[in-house]
Amino acid sequence: MARKPQENPQLDMTPMIDVVFELIIFFVVTLKMADEKDDTVRLEDGKYGIQLTPEELPPTHMMIDIARNGRISMGNVTKTPEDVRKIVAERKRKFGEFPVMIRADWRCRHEFVKRVMDACTAAGIWKLSFVAVLERKSGKSKHDK
Amino acid sequence: MARKPQDNPQLDMTPMIDVVFELIIFFVINIKAVDIFSKLNANRPAPSSSPSQSEEKDTQIKIDIGPGGLVFNGRAMPLKQFDGAMHEISKTSKNATVLVRCTMDSPHKYLVDALDTCNKYRMFNVSIFSM
Repeated sequence: MARKPQENPQLDMTPMIDVVFELIIFFVVTLKMADEKDDTVRLEDGKYGIQLTPEELPPTHMMIDIARNGRISMGNVTKTPEDVRKIVAERKRKFGEFPVMIRADWRCRHEFVKRVMDACTAAGIWKLSFVAVLERKSGKSKHDK
Repeated sequence: MARKPQDNPQLDMTPMIDVVFELIIFFVINIKAVDIFSKLNANRPAPSSSPSQSEEKDTQIKIDIGPGGLVFNGRAMPLKQFDGAMHEISKTSKNATVLVRCTMDSPHKYLVDALDTCNKYRMFNVSIFSM
């Protein structure tokens, strides 16, 4: 059946809705990817530290999580100190000096932190930063499970 | 059934409003207040230099951290008292080097507290030793 030429055609909204849903799916997926960290880590307060703004961190930075039980992880993937040393050394070879951030649980023993610090120094990084909480806004306390 | 040509067609806004509401609901659910984080910088000493060897130009402040908390000038003290002591020191020595010595079994909390206090009194030259 041939279409009759319309004098006042209606705008079809279906493709727009399709595209909007596509966008929603895209953002849902990327949001999850950007937020990979060890959620069990509870940080100590550090009200006088330098504010950490994720946008200002160079892309070469590295975040190392240390859980209460000493589990070392990067991007929520468990690593051994030897893995950390290799990764840090490789990145240093590629990019030179880069910021290393240690997100260690406030209850974890210094021994576990030392393992990571030693791995970094063995790879040639002497400057380290510890992540703390400048301001608690999420309502989560450091004593939460 | 063929469509009748309309004289005054109106754009149907209903699907667009649906989608916009969907989006609003999605973002409202997804928004969660996020903590603001800070970073506390510290150095690790070179393997060759021990705390006693690096004594040079500036004053050195030694802080010990044990399983029970902060030990300063041989005295264990709560954070508040430590803060006061650091405040006194910061008045006289501006560019002091701070050496933080941690025992293996000390909780990480005290190290962060010590670094935070050093930042508060603008002492940025901090080295961490592990014992």
